[in-house]
Amino acid sequence: MASALETLMELRDDPYSRARAWKERTGGSVVGFFCCYAPEELLHAAGALPVRVTGENRTVSKAGAHLQSYCCSLARTALDMALTGDLDFLDGTVFVHTCDTMQRLSDIWRLNAGYPFHVDFALPVRFEGKLAAEYTRAELGLVRSKLAHALGQFDDDAIRESIRVYNRNRALLTELYDLRRADPGIMPCDQAVWVVASAALMDKAEHNEILEEILSDLRGASGRSDRIRLFGVGSVMDQWEFLGMLEDLGGTFADDDFCTGHRYFEGDVSEEGDPLDALTGRLMERGQCACKHTPDRERSARIVQRARACGARGAIFFQFKFCEPHGFDYPAIKKALDEAGFATLELEMEQGSVSIEQLRTRVEALLETIRG
Amino acid sequence: MPVAGVDIGSLTAKAVVLQGREVLSTSLTQTGHNSRVAGRRALDMALDRMGLDEGSLGFIVATGYGRTAADFAGERITEITCHARGANRTHPEARTVIDLGGQDSKAIAIDERGKVLDFVMNDKCSAGTGRFLEVMASALEVELDDLGSLSLESTSPASISSVCTVFAESEVVSRVAEGAPKVDIIAGIHQAIASRIYAMAARIPTNEALIITGGVARNIGVVRALEQKFDTRIVVPEMPQHMGALGAAIIAGEHHE
Repeated sequence: MASALETLMELRDDPYSRARAWKERTGGSVVGFFCCYAPEELLHAAGALPVRVTGENRTVSKAGAHLQSYCCSLARTALDMALTGDLDFLDGTVFVHTCDTMQRLSDIWRLNAGYPFHVDFALPVRFEGKLAAEYTRAELGLVRSKLAHALGQFDDDAIRESIRVYNRNRALLTELYDLRRADPGIMPCDQAVWVVASAALMDKAEHNEILEEILSDLRGASGRSDRIRLFGVGSVMDQWEFLGMLEDLGGTFADDDFCTGHRYFEGDVSEEGDPLDALTGRLMERGQCACKHTPDRERSARIVQRARACGARGAIFFQFKFCEPHGFDYPAIKKALDEAGFATLELEMEQGSVSIEQLRTRVEALLETIRG
Repeated sequence: MPVAGVDIGSLTAKAVVLQGREVLSTSLTQTGHNSRVAGRRALDMALDRMGLDEGSLGFIVATGYGRTAADFAGERITEITCHARGANRTHPEARTVIDLGGQDSKAIAIDERGKVLDFVMNDKCSAGTGRFLEVMASALEVELDDLGSLSLESTSPASISSVCTVFAESEVVSRVAEGAPKVDIIAGIHQAIASRIYAMAARIPTNEALIITGGVARNIGVVRALEQKFDTRIVVPEMPQHMGALGAAIIAGEHHE
């Protein structure tokens, strides 16, 4: 029988196979979302299976008619998947108000993708202060009522139960990252990042069970410790071949700030009191992405602190081509990392046209620089 | 005991045989379709010149984009590290290396020992590369090696806005049709390249001690345009194309010790 980890790794070749099987088995609704700010707990409480869509490595055929070529490949390939019917298991989609492209993609998606329901979750740009919290709380209430209308009513207890399932998932993923920070050799980074990404592609309770098994194997394990530890910065990380190459060249991400990595699971939701207040609390307190602004909690300082904490000697930035928010954040973060003595490397890429060999030279040069 | 560095680039393969700090022999050959064969040929050519054979070498380091194919090498090091080390050997004062090769361009910030501090690389677009200049020379029906000196005759460089090889070629054809003098068009091409390289280098800390390596360094017009853009004198080493191979040979020497 395949191990828990093998079961998860198989999913990498066909990321939506579990969602399809879940739908067939339960007859429930599958709801797509794009961003780690999406209110997954509410979807879960409504009895739906939230599934994250992050585009894929493909050549765009139908999306080109709706999105300009200067939109990022996440938006272009995801829309293409919808328009070519590859996401036909979806019953609806939840969009979150983040970057300009995602806001406009929401409209294009609503008009062209043709799924039964469509919800926008508007968030404040500046995630600080009482006003932002009140606004976020009100929006969560609105999303809740829209979901209830589309999927059926659900009460506070259902949300509290979903919060518990999701908190458990976050705690297990946090433990995985803690174990890897102490000894990254116990699991290659391409697997670790996939373990996180897969959490958004299947039933959470099932993912929790798989994680328990994986962690019971990893606790007390020891791995190769001679790899150069690096810190990854970016949004979606789905370039598995690249991560495999990084490991082959003797480097590894000991921790990251990817939105399909650490940002996905950081921060707990209180299991006490009003569940929407609790969800608001996490959204306000968690480490924010480049689309959001937290004047009192600089993203660059947090990244430097976390890079230090995992023993990284360098950092790699993954810039999606045409991604403005992360492009705007890059100079400040690079400067902070440079000043703190980290070697840095910026890699620009887009899904569908990643040339591993061209990236190899840059990564090797970074590792040579660190080795001295 | 002599050591060797072999730099297998996208257009040419180079070898340098080194004994201590003395360059015993060098070679240069077209890469063609087989990186391994080209690297081997470059190495044999350099050895032949000294009447040496591979057995007399203490260590071989391969670099360049074809380095992974160099099964005859004891180690493979990126051309970024090697250009830095080569430039540091011939010009210890250099702190920024601009490497303009056959199909990519790089800017490398180095310290006083030739250690890489930061680098930026463009291999998605051929602007500023040898291949770009080959296409332009052919469009203008001039010899590649004459581009540099011809551009220095220009008094009013033409405006070439695009640095994409394909679009720049059609822009050049338009300028020709308009009757612009060849020398002005060539000077315009060099300015467009310099702007592009300058913008790329701005992403890393650069300072005035600039050195240019790679085949394009042989084009004096590009060097002058870069000097204008960076507002500083740029050092052109004696053998700019061999700096990567030299750096590889230096690292080979360290292994041998």
